Amino acid sequence: MNGTVSRKSSGARLWFVIHGWLALPIWAFLFFVCLTGSIATVSQEIVWLASPMVRANAPAADARLLGYDQIMAAVEREVPGARVRFISRPVKSMFALTVSVTRPEGSTDTLYVNPYTGAVQGEQGEFDFRDFVRALHGWLLVPFNDGFSLGWYAVSALSIPLLGSLITGIVVYKRFWRVYLRPRLRTGKGRRVFWGDLHRLAGAWSIPFIAIMAVTAGWFLVRAILDDNHISISTIGVPAVVARGDVPVVARGEPAPRITLEQAAEAVRRQLPDLEPSFVQFPSSAYSHIRVGGRGSYPLLFETVDVNPYNGKVERTRRVSDRSALELVTGSMRPLHTGDFAGVWLKLVYFGFGLLLTTLVFSGMMVWTKRTAIETVKLVRERASARLGLEAAE
Amino acid sequence: MTALASPSRGASLWQRWRFHLSALVLIVPVIFTPVFFQENAFFDGKKGLGQREIGEIAVGPWSVRLAEFKVVAPDAEGRAGYAKTFALALCPACVDEVKAAYLRVGKPRNIRTAGALFSGTPYRQTAEMRIPDRTTADDVLWLTLEGWDGALHQATIPIRAASPITAAWLEKRGRP
Repeated sequence: MNGTVSRKSSGARLWFVIHGWLALPIWAFLFFVCLTGSIATVSQEIVWLASPMVRANAPAADARLLGYDQIMAAVEREVPGARVRFISRPVKSMFALTVSVTRPEGSTDTLYVNPYTGAVQGEQGEFDFRDFVRALHGWLLVPFNDGFSLGWYAVSALSIPLLGSLITGIVVYKRFWRVYLRPRLRTGKGRRVFWGDLHRLAGAWSIPFIAIMAVTAGWFLVRAILDDNHISISTIGVPAVVARGDVPVVARGEPAPRITLEQAAEAVRRQLPDLEPSFVQFPSSAYSHIRVGGRGSYPLLFETVDVNPYNGKVERTRRVSDRSALELVTGSMRPLHTGDFAGVWLKLVYFGFGLLLTTLVFSGMMVWTKRTAIETVKLVRERASARLGLEAAE
Repeated sequence: MTALASPSRGASLWQRWRFHLSALVLIVPVIFTPVFFQENAFFDGKKGLGQREIGEIAVGPWSVRLAEFKVVAPDAEGRAGYAKTFALALCPACVDEVKAAYLRVGKPRNIRTAGALFSGTPYRQTAEMRIPDRTTADDVLWLTLEGWDGALHQATIPIRAASPITAAWLEKRGRP
């Protein structure tokens, strides 16, 4: 331990020790979670770069986007007999539509459909990079059997040492704002000085980001505990069902009269003109609704509209204003954690700060182990010389 | 003194590596990678209708394939009691004729009490069926199909045939 710290009061030293011990024993685990989390924020863009089938290339500059009915017709043409479960139109126009279908033999697949031509450009294979990285980051691939996965608990519990490191870090390094005015990263004074400077620099700049990550990850832990104890904070209530009287009775063999998706979309546009639909979900039974969802005025949360598939009436809406204050806060946790609500630029910001946080974990470990190693050697020498002195005196 | 100056080999290894032991957590995803892909394939219906197929069941003019979604005992659902999930596929000829399928323990009095509604696509749909407290292993499941023409047809399956693991669980639980 060098002079600056040892001169400090014992209180500051205690905080310093706590700061070190919070993350040191688990640093490699935390490092892994931060690294995979950083990759997860841009996993969709990585897939876009790697795989042409997920891109939405327009055949001509003035090409128009297809309507839902045209998409349906295109899917039926290319995958005859398949039943569409949902169509999702990524907000960013660079991505192809994803259409989830179940084939007559019972397998469910995700198709990538060109939004201008309706061509099925490809099918998601067994390895979905985005899903895999998310699962690796979020629950270490440990399956969810009865309730939340133990991996989920292990990862989200890291929010506690993360929050503790943030608080103790600020307490130890009270004048962190100096770094904003005069950043210092000394490269010629040995590795310990370098890693120490880097740790303080990265830490001071990441304070808001770490706070967001620690709090939102803490919510993931709380959510799992609530859920596994069957405690609900939702105000949604019982799911709406289509009234029995609205479901038509037809002669045997006749097709059931349902409205088209375009008609449903039109009903939603009339009712909620500011909603930008980003997905359409098909009724999962004869008594369920067509659900249209998208982001409204508050970009973090999705708003949904349930349309009666037989008469086109909007029967239920779930808007931002329908949510309780608690739901607004808790509902915002996931988008705040992933950064997926404002476009690619924000994802890149998250990715950058994620890597910085990963560096922070690593540099913290380097500082501590180097310091601990020196301390140990010192301690051993002191004790040894004391023993020698004693022996000489005898 | 010698012990301090040159600690034993094991102790020095421990000193050096103890703070990196958390890296062993990475063994967990390595172990679970195959399970992750199997589960995904299962949920996407690429490993069959469910984990245990019960068989083809004739229901009036139609027929369905029924399966235990997962071969597990009923799940506790908090205040809602216990529930068990089944999967169903309509026969290719009746895909457009059957409006809805329901499953419950015991005979329903009418269509409104037909039980859990199956949801999904005609090719693969699931229902979470409630297990009432008074259920015994000798009870029978009633499957009700409702046609778009309003016709109702029913079939029964003994719990012992539908889900041996549930029957065993009920026997163990006994009558409350």
